[in-house]
Amino acid sequence: MKVTLRVWRQESKNTQGAFETHALDQVKPEMSFLEMLDVLNEQLIKAGKRAVEFESDCREGICGTCNMVINGQAHGPVRGATTCQLYLRSFQDGETITIEPFRAKAFPVIRDLVVDRTALDRIIMSGGYISVKTGPHADANANLVPKDLADRAMDAAACIGCGACVAACPNASASLFTSAKITQFSLLPQGQPERKSRVINMVNAMDKEMFGSCSNLGECEAACPKKISIQHIAIMKKEYLFAALSADYREGMGSSETAG
Amino acid sequence: MVRLTQLIRSSLGYKYLTGLSGLGLGLFVIAHLLGNLTLFQKEGTAFNAYAEKLQALGPVLILMELGIVAVVVLHIWSTVQVTLSKRAARPIGYEVTQSKGGPSKNTAGSRYMIVSGTILLAFLVLHIIQFRFGPGVAEGYVTQLGGDEVRDLHRLVKEVFADPKWVAIYTAVMIFLGFHLRHGYWSMFQSLGLMNPRWSGPIYFGAKALAVLLSLGFIAIPIYLYMVFGGLI
Amino acid sequence: MMNSGIPEGPLSQKWDNYKSNMKLVNPANKRKYTVIVVGTGLAGGAGAASLAELGYNVKSFCIHDSARRAHSIAAQGGINSSKNYPNDGDSVWRLFYDTLKGGDYRAREANVYRLAQVSANIIDQCVAQGIPFAREYSGELANRSFGGAQVSRTFYARGQTGQQLLLGAYSALMRQVNAGKVELFNYREMLDVVNIDGRARGIITRNLLTGAIERHAADAVILATGGYGRVYFLSTNAMNSNVTAAWRAHKRGAYFGNPSYVQIHPTCIPVSGDYQAKLTLMSESLRNDGRVWVPKNKADCKKNPSEIPDQDRDYYLERRYPSFGNLAPRDIASRAAKVVCDEGRGVGLTGRAVYLDFRDVIKRDGEAMVREKYGNLFDMYHEITGENPYHNPMRIYPAVHYTMGGLWVDYSLQTTIPGLFAAGEANFSDHGANRLGASALMQGLSDGYFVLPYTVTNYLATGGFMKVDTSHAAFADVERDVKNGIQNLLSVGARGKRTPTEIFRDLGNVIWDKVGMARDDAGLKEALLQIKKLREDFDTNLKLTGDGDGLNKNLEMAGRVSDFLELGELMAQDALHRTESCGGHFRTESQTSDGEALRNDNEFSYVAAWEYKGRGERATLHKEALVFESVKPSVRSYK
Repeated sequence: MKVTLRVWRQESKNTQGAFETHALDQVKPEMSFLEMLDVLNEQLIKAGKRAVEFESDCREGICGTCNMVINGQAHGPVRGATTCQLYLRSFQDGETITIEPFRAKAFPVIRDLVVDRTALDRIIMSGGYISVKTGPHADANANLVPKDLADRAMDAAACIGCGACVAACPNASASLFTSAKITQFSLLPQGQPERKSRVINMVNAMDKEMFGSCSNLGECEAACPKKISIQHIAIMKKEYLFAALSADYREGMGSSETAG
Repeated sequence: MVRLTQLIRSSLGYKYLTGLSGLGLGLFVIAHLLGNLTLFQKEGTAFNAYAEKLQALGPVLILMELGIVAVVVLHIWSTVQVTLSKRAARPIGYEVTQSKGGPSKNTAGSRYMIVSGTILLAFLVLHIIQFRFGPGVAEGYVTQLGGDEVRDLHRLVKEVFADPKWVAIYTAVMIFLGFHLRHGYWSMFQSLGLMNPRWSGPIYFGAKALAVLLSLGFIAIPIYLYMVFGGLI
Repeated sequence: MMNSGIPEGPLSQKWDNYKSNMKLVNPANKRKYTVIVVGTGLAGGAGAASLAELGYNVKSFCIHDSARRAHSIAAQGGINSSKNYPNDGDSVWRLFYDTLKGGDYRAREANVYRLAQVSANIIDQCVAQGIPFAREYSGELANRSFGGAQVSRTFYARGQTGQQLLLGAYSALMRQVNAGKVELFNYREMLDVVNIDGRARGIITRNLLTGAIERHAADAVILATGGYGRVYFLSTNAMNSNVTAAWRAHKRGAYFGNPSYVQIHPTCIPVSGDYQAKLTLMSESLRNDGRVWVPKNKADCKKNPSEIPDQDRDYYLERRYPSFGNLAPRDIASRAAKVVCDEGRGVGLTGRAVYLDFRDVIKRDGEAMVREKYGNLFDMYHEITGENPYHNPMRIYPAVHYTMGGLWVDYSLQTTIPGLFAAGEANFSDHGANRLGASALMQGLSDGYFVLPYTVTNYLATGGFMKVDTSHAAFADVERDVKNGIQNLLSVGARGKRTPTEIFRDLGNVIWDKVGMARDDAGLKEALLQIKKLREDFDTNLKLTGDGDGLNKNLEMAGRVSDFLELGELMAQDALHRTESCGGHFRTESQTSDGEALRNDNEFSYVAAWEYKGRGERATLHKEALVFESVKPSVRSYK
């Protein structure tokens, strides 16, 4: 099959980018989308041109490294899949495919389709953990966790941190990402001691990174390769409100850690 | 406790305000329609009596009205904040955008809440001028009610909706109202954190049903009045 | 003979003895030490977080944008532990024994026993971190069984156990970053080790975004940089998985242990075309319920599988290994698949695939039950192949998955360079010649959470070194070598014709054919010649575009391919010298009459540790004798 690619090319964060058009006439429907880009890059190098920079790693939809917006959709047209899990059988023969980087103030373009998503790490840094140290702990079965809660926590924990929620959100909000981590821990007994400080600190961190606000449009859930539900966002809002109004929460709690 | 200013100025805070003010306005809309159902009485005495009862509240009514204005202002302010943050959060947009569908709630209605909201705001001003500050006792719109002389608001309503132009304008705006409420009612639950897995389906459907019902209810009134008093029935 | 530093005492007390006799660093002094940890997978992430919690200053290096992306994340099935919650006869001893036997008696007893001992702590640690393991309705943790064991000792989180464990380590790491105890350097590739006075004192990295070559000094360096399975080009490893960090350390004096021990995983999705760069694994847990078969008659191979009646199907694993059946260990299951395909009974377009069939379990437990257990794996298969595995059997074929070999380390996980430690898949230590399922996660976390914090402390406390910083002349020397290396790639790359990917693919084909599931003398000798040719082609005819001053993934790849070419030769050399068969290393000259691997304990009961002698030069072999005090090596039978 044949496809025409309109690929975003940009030297660096501070330069202007533009679309570049490439025709590929020998691709196959059973090829993955990234394999098609590999083929394009081999052609470009052979022709002495700079390859299109894009990120990918595990190529099986779990590491969250690959990221691009394909024909206006984060990770392309297939629901519940990452870019690396997208195959050309999802496209028409002769189709023109537009490929853009994830776009958000918080995700500056590094080069071509590669963007800097470390803002998400900084949200986790602010409280996306249970503050236990390595060492002996109570027996793993000492704390029973009802199966349905464990399952719901796992639904939330399935997030791969790819940032598609931000890319797809018309407001560039990171609410789905942030809320998934908050609800994972709010459902589990281990998460209770830091429940309040966690939600406050993580929401503050999210705001500091200049992500937009959530308008309940649900584009994030539609784009999420792990189909994480926006119900987690509702839970985050409830958790934040309770924590913020709670008398036993004091500002600064859990925001700094004394190690050693 | 987190300082209130910090709570409000967080990205979630704006949504709590939008949701809370939306809740107030949403309830007001329901009450307003219930009151207006008295217009289906042809003689107009029920409607005038209802209007008179509100009028009789005196300063309390004014307080209530100012309260609603305050809620409207709050609703607008918080929404504007969200819209501004959205612009700042994505200074360079996409060349192509397309929803992935599925569970997405992204429809023309939800996406353009700011547009339907602006239309509703303009309409609100017009509506208040037209009826709240429209011709009253001084201009001769007087009727007898239980021996007292009161404002004949029913006559004013009747006259306005004898004009097909107004019927058309009101109908159009009420369709926008329907779309606004469709996303608004559901969104309120989501923004205030009242959603849970068990109820999300019913709430999303319930919001749609309520929005359609309210929108149709408001549309039915001018059409009914036009047909009855325009001589069609 | 190498000294592995195994502590005194009976097997079950060695680790306790080590801990009792080790030296400690007092809390106030810990902050005076800096430890570099390269890699942020299970071993690296867990190690960096744990060392920082103790109070050391940690510099953590990660090749990705984020410390959450390491390939540990892709482990699907689970993690073993000797908890014995199901009460089915498990114990520390049995986990130790199964692992040692699974490794075909080519692992160090003391290390494996320690691994089995700390395996219970790992589960407690992970549960305390809030990892949502699968649970029973009682609220207790659930277990399932895995290959090579007759007990259920595998803990899991759906089909994403590696992800959840990695996110646990990542969160612990990010907590320490927030606390200022870990400085995280992302988008950094380690390109060399700096040795001063015979000790590892720092590393040279390249900032992948700016191309800057940077110096980092420390008191100890830990490499947790994963395995080298991508030398096969097609493997289940991630695109960025590579041997460069370990190899550059090897070139600076760290011996490389058992490079030819590679695990070929039996259940992967078969190759579909030459544009492919990566294969996908289907979790071994599928073999709990799926049955592996091929048609008895070659003529049936192209038939629709549902039209082949039971009597014409050869459930060859159940036939050959009645007591373990479909749960035979990975090396054995892979080889068995190769045998039936070599006989011409393979299925699919290429004839290099066998069926993994869920018909019977779906009939027994219903589709819903199967969906609950394996839903995401089935979906994954469906996405990749476009076929519905609920209706048609999956087609699978072995693919390279894990490397048991790696940097040689002693009991304390220290390489032959003092102060340079290697953890996780990057070291050679615990799995012998074959790794059992759900043991990689266990080993990575064991090294990171529970071994390194002790052994690194002991190293630092023993002391004997002066403070150095990056102004030391040794840093300048190594940095110059690194810069010259990159410049050399770019200048050859400006003139040559073949892209790094092309040469890489050729290398992979050679190694897969000749140093893959079955090896023989003639093939290995030929491989050595072919790899040498490829290396020469690489050195003179490489094609590169772009420059070294910014993000350039092909330049990165070229550097890695250069190291893979050298590693490939060493693998062939190691495989050639070991004329026995053991675990994943199958020499066709050394097999029993019914085709099973035939070990030669008299001659080969040792670890081969290779010393680097220069590009294109023959490496020198050193041996660590494997002494079995507690278990008598027997014929490894799963029949």
